[in-house]
Amino acid sequence: MHERLLSSIGSKIALNETAMNKLKQFFIPKKIRKRQYILNAGDVCQYITFVEKGMLRSFTVDDEGHEHVVQFAVEGSWISDMASFLSGKEALYNIEALEDSEVLNLGTQAMDDLMHQVPGMERYFRLLMQNNIIALQRRVVAYMSLSAEEKYLKLMEVAPDIMNRASQQHIASYLSITPETLSRIRKQVSNKK
Amino acid sequence: MATINTIAIIGATGNMGSAIAKSLSKPGSYRLLLMSNDTDELAQLYSQLKEPNTGTEIYSISCAREASWEADIIIVATQNDAEKEVAEKIREVATGKIVISISNPLNSAYRQLITSSDTSAAEELQKLLPNSKVVKTFNTTFAADFISSVIDEKTADVFIAGNNGDAVKTVSEVVKSAGFNPIIAGDLSVSRTLERMQLLRIRYTMNNSYNWLAGWKILHN
Ligand SMILES: NC(=O)c1ccc[n+]([C@@H]2O[C@H](COP(=O)([O-])OP(=O)(O)OC[C@H]3O[C@@H](n4cnc5c(N)ncnc54)[C@H](OP(=O)(O)O)[C@@H]3O)[C@@H](O)[C@H]2O)c1
Repeated sequence: MHERLLSSIGSKIALNETAMNKLKQFFIPKKIRKRQYILNAGDVCQYITFVEKGMLRSFTVDDEGHEHVVQFAVEGSWISDMASFLSGKEALYNIEALEDSEVLNLGTQAMDDLMHQVPGMERYFRLLMQNNIIALQRRVVAYMSLSAEEKYLKLMEVAPDIMNRASQQHIASYLSITPETLSRIRKQVSNKK
Repeated sequence: MATINTIAIIGATGNMGSAIAKSLSKPGSYRLLLMSNDTDELAQLYSQLKEPNTGTEIYSISCAREASWEADIIIVATQNDAEKEVAEKIREVATGKIVISISNPLNSAYRQLITSSDTSAAEELQKLLPNSKVVKTFNTTFAADFISSVIDEKTADVFIAGNNGDAVKTVSEVVKSAGFNPIIAGDLSVSRTLERMQLLRIRYTMNNSYNWLAGWKILHN
């Protein structure tokens, strides 16, 4: 139930048996079903969520009702509306399970307590935040300056797993292109091979 | 629109379990996970609840651990003597969650409590589930009250005791959804009083051969 989490943390900081047992107590284990929401835009995001199994997406809905996928999260990754979680203000994102999933939720208070009580966790979260910023910057730059095909190839390279598991519609939305463009690019790319 | 809480009822086909499930099955309030070992009765309860409430997400699950894993709030509605076994099954998946204790630790003649005066069934459950937020409630109502929470023209009071303020608040909402008037009575040790209040009322009901549609009401002006 905590295997992925422990290996994610263990890859960044040294964890002994006591620390492992201790840190499990701070996470709320939850099973969620495909299509179930764990956050609705407008609510406050109360948890940062670690994915042990399955896949989720965060997305916004614009005034015209179009969805925009912000992030996919598969096994071993975190998902949340970080701005809402940190500020206590209304979330902009919705978070939905795309597959039956198993997650571990960490609340604000629990996160604070965890950092105080388990040595090294502060470092783990600092590294996590750093990675978040790097990913965010990459995404902004890709959005502004890469062509549709380049964005597609980039995603293929860093997250082939997501490409296989997510729907065409969601991948297109994530890349800010139409499903038609996505299918055209897919054809082109496979023809080149 | 807030995501709605998921409530697992362990022992959902019992007197209390089924009464609570019915009272919480109105669309829009909660997702319900009904857990029972008796699959036939469970299927029956499921269709009984699902048909008039097609808008409510209701699932039947035959494993206490699975149901609790998927839940935000867990109601342990088994007989008091099964709580230890249930607690062991759900301990890990109930971490950080609200666990509602409804039990009254009565002896077989319903004349006495089996707990000593310095503890309560709720506190014993909390010891078994150290990482969960145990909240006492619904123990001072009879199962029959869930069919009609208004008795003698008054909405019956339901007392709530717990150590975690947010958990107590969330449980107050559950109590309200079930049709009762929630009264926050204090920390978890107040369960000692609440469990004895029910003993008093059971003895009174039996001694006078009253029916079971009866409740507590605090009167004040
Ligand atoms: N009845 C009332 O008016 C009332 C009022 C207030 C509080 N309470 C409290 O509520 C609790 C339940 O009382 P009740 O009258 O509803 O009893 P009940 O009708 O006997 O129901 C208990 C249910 O729990 C199930 N169960 C037993 N062991 C289990 C296990 N290990 N895992 C899953 N399910 C299990 C039983 O199933 P099987 O039959 O298949 O074993 C039964 O369906 C008690 O603690 C009682 O003190 C009752």
